[in-house]
Amino acid sequence: MKNDRQRTFLLITIPILGLFVCFNTIPLIRGVIYSFTNFRGFGSYDWVGIRNYVDLFSDARVGKSYLFTIKLAVVTTIVVNIISLILALGLNSKIRAKGFFRGAYFLPNILGSLVVGYIFNYFFTYILPALADMVGIESMSTSILSSPNKAWIGIMIVCAWQAIAMNTIIYISGLQTVPEDVYEAGGLDGATGWKQFRHLTFPLIIPFFSINMVLSVKNFLMVFDQIMALTKGGPAQSTESISYLIYNNGMSGGQFGFQSANAVVFFIVIVAISVAQMKFSGSKEEQL
Amino acid sequence: MKNTTSAVKANKTVMVLLILGLSTIIFPLYMTIIIAFKQPSEMTNSISGLLSLPKTWSFDNFREAMEVTDFWNSLRNSLLISVLTVVLSIIIHSLMGYTLGRNKKSKFYNFVYLFIVSGMFVPFAILMMPLAKQTAELGLANWAGVVILYVVFYMPMNVMLYSGYLVNIPLALEEAARVDGASTWRTYWKIIFPIMKPMHATVAVITALAVWNDVMTPLVIMAGSSQNTLPLAQLNFQSQFGTNYNLAFASYLLSLIPILIFYLICQKQILNGVVNGAVK
Amino acid sequence: MKRKGIRCLKLTLCCAAAAFAVQGCGASSDDGKIEIEIVQYKPEAANYFKVVEEEFNATHDDIHLTISSPNDAMTILKTRFIREDYPDIIGIGGDINYSYFVDAEILSDVSGYEGMQYINQGYLDIAESLELVPTDGTYIVPYVANAAGVLYNRDMFEEHGWQIPTTWDELVALCDEIQAEGILPFYFGFKDTWTCLAPWNAMAVELSPSDTTKQVNRGQTNFTTEYRELAEKYLQLLPYGPEGPFAYSYNDACTAFARGESAMYTIGSYATPQILSVNPDLNIDSFVMPAGDSADDRTLNSGIDLGFCVMANCENKEAAYEVLNFLYADENLQKYIDDQNAVPCKTGDFQLSSMLDGMLAFIESGNMTDYQDHYYPSEMSVDALLQTYLIEQNTDNFLANFDANWQRYNRDIIRMVQDYEAANGGKE
Repeated sequence: MKNDRQRTFLLITIPILGLFVCFNTIPLIRGVIYSFTNFRGFGSYDWVGIRNYVDLFSDARVGKSYLFTIKLAVVTTIVVNIISLILALGLNSKIRAKGFFRGAYFLPNILGSLVVGYIFNYFFTYILPALADMVGIESMSTSILSSPNKAWIGIMIVCAWQAIAMNTIIYISGLQTVPEDVYEAGGLDGATGWKQFRHLTFPLIIPFFSINMVLSVKNFLMVFDQIMALTKGGPAQSTESISYLIYNNGMSGGQFGFQSANAVVFFIVIVAISVAQMKFSGSKEEQL
Repeated sequence: MKNTTSAVKANKTVMVLLILGLSTIIFPLYMTIIIAFKQPSEMTNSISGLLSLPKTWSFDNFREAMEVTDFWNSLRNSLLISVLTVVLSIIIHSLMGYTLGRNKKSKFYNFVYLFIVSGMFVPFAILMMPLAKQTAELGLANWAGVVILYVVFYMPMNVMLYSGYLVNIPLALEEAARVDGASTWRTYWKIIFPIMKPMHATVAVITALAVWNDVMTPLVIMAGSSQNTLPLAQLNFQSQFGTNYNLAFASYLLSLIPILIFYLICQKQILNGVVNGAVK
Repeated sequence: MKRKGIRCLKLTLCCAAAAFAVQGCGASSDDGKIEIEIVQYKPEAANYFKVVEEEFNATHDDIHLTISSPNDAMTILKTRFIREDYPDIIGIGGDINYSYFVDAEILSDVSGYEGMQYINQGYLDIAESLELVPTDGTYIVPYVANAAGVLYNRDMFEEHGWQIPTTWDELVALCDEIQAEGILPFYFGFKDTWTCLAPWNAMAVELSPSDTTKQVNRGQTNFTTEYRELAEKYLQLLPYGPEGPFAYSYNDACTAFARGESAMYTIGSYATPQILSVNPDLNIDSFVMPAGDSADDRTLNSGIDLGFCVMANCENKEAAYEVLNFLYADENLQKYIDDQNAVPCKTGDFQLSSMLDGMLAFIESGNMTDYQDHYYPSEMSVDALLQTYLIEQNTDNFLANFDANWQRYNRDIIRMVQDYEAANGGKE
């Protein structure tokens, strides 16, 4: 009996683990190996040692893409979480047609981000300038996507439009775990409005806050579809995200080896940020 | 008394604000729909010309868009990939989650668990180039390869969900069946698999949504072959006919319709699934 | 039951995978015809190739031809090469990608192709010089060339009695004259970075030796020396263009020139279909960009716009050559030339577009030099460097940057060239 159980477990584990190793671990190792070559993706290649890594730190384009991606991730995470929290409080209050509102506000999240990007691309290029013209705002009369300084805002708006839906739903489920009597007790102490939120509600939903932080940062660091749909990295290479740069230069630009090195560094960055976030939110939760 | 009236007032304000906020979601959709129905000659540069209703509600744009994007084939590919991925994920990931969840004390299985779950941190960017090569070497540069990759990509997340859920299922249930002489394999399918139904729903929803809208995997694995998924068809279409916005928007709308229908029907399950997946 | 279900699923999956794998590799289709697949990189010529494909298949029983003209063909081709999934023939331009493909040994030697004898020797020499290190074979059959210089509004020039300039000083004088009459001399569409390369290339052919990049690779000179005059002269052109040229895209610039908003436009012959689509009545002609002190120094900036390469692993070379014969038939080539305002690479009696009148003498005498940017590695993004230069206008920085980037992106090529020369005793 015991043997049967152990044998079954082993028979389940081995093929599935094999599959995982084959399509996750092995490509990962191969990626690391390519990062030490000058492979273009086709033809022969040579070992170049750590040259790709040395180049990585002197490559202005790569540096710019890291700055852009991190800036986008940080700003979007803050914007998304503020709006989602407010929205969640609204949707969790005693209102009519709650179900309808929740359903409607979640809608953006199920739509494909590529197509959403295309729709907003049109909005930024034609509708927004036309609106600005009508109202008479000079600085908005050209597409924000064509300005190296403003294009990232367009991308942020599209990312946020979709991500708010997700984070809101998570905050709502967090707010539902807060028992009514906490508010009643708080009400006796005279805690209302902002005070009530700051001292009663928020501490109780901190776990949900950290889930949202982790989700947002990770998703926005890997942003790709929106870039593909809105700017393709332009203007003047001002909106090249890391994923986009790796795809574009690695697959079609003949930098297979070099971009593999970039991907390895990106991997390390993601792991570092995730670990730091978990440590941070872990200690925060312990404090409470 | 006074308290409740002010509360009612506050709720009314919230309602008004929520309805106003809704416009940010409805407006892009409205824009998509009317542009999809218009003719290029109806598109002027003024705001009224851009946003007015079309003169006639003709489906010509849709017919043409279906033709140029090979809509039905792309839809079939997308459906095939999504359904197969979900089915395989439920079977494979639940088995793995069960095995790992029931062997928490074993050093070996603990290692396997950590090994698989740490796959969550691996960004697709690093796998993409080696995978493009590897799938081709294995003859998998097609939808089947994409399905296999999805099953592997979502394994860390789903295995974590399943093995976490297993904590709620008492071992006693299995032991009772074992006393009756049933094998572990049989016990799993007879007892455990049906009990994990809520988790299956969660896994199905989050996997399906992610797979349906994914661009990058099919782009890297399938690009250049004659097969397209719905998002991939949009990508190709965009660069080819990007200047005819009416046609483009008809095609965008077409590609959004299947998921919209799905959402209207299973809204509750989707919302629950998404929350469960994120919070657990 | 369930167990069976999984097995069935797994089996289906494996079968499907196997089926696709088999489908992918076969060179002959079911009906015994030989399949030939062409991927060519000019989407604007998609309609022409569609007609060619239909006509070929209607007249050939033994070969079935498929031509695809995808957008972003280079990305698709390279992705397919990564997967080692090769078409039979690729239609590409004579640029650095061709050099890479030759170096990767994925193209086959087509010097045995009988049609080769009709190809203009000048273009074969250009193809030869694109090879990173000299090889024995020829790997591309040039189809058509383009010519870059200055497009001008013929009616406007006649009306004002302006003369075609033959030296740099004459060009500057002309621009001053045009400007004095309240007309914009040039239009630029620098929002699209690649358009920054057009005037650069057109002047570079006269101002720096055609093998500048190779000389740099051999360590004989550097760009700070070779490109200084070129860079400085480029800046002098800017005041003759529109205010804030970085706001306008290629399309905007074509539209503006088509509507008569400027007298001249420094771009290649490939832009004319786009311009004529806006204003079909515009009377366009072209002249060679003068950048030096003597009219005799001028040379036409012309390179291989499209050529066909047979892939090394194409199984039926004979069938591939048959397809090439059809493509290079005079009447088909003439159709392409009419369609795209191109210059044929084949010798013979072809009717060229009137927009090339001003360049005809150069084409006929073979006084042509390849684009410098065909030697720039694409990942170096020289177009973006140029755009930055035109915005910042700091020549020293730009040239130093150019040299530094060049050394970094060409390290492997430089070493390869040096190894080759060490092994072959120096001079080419």
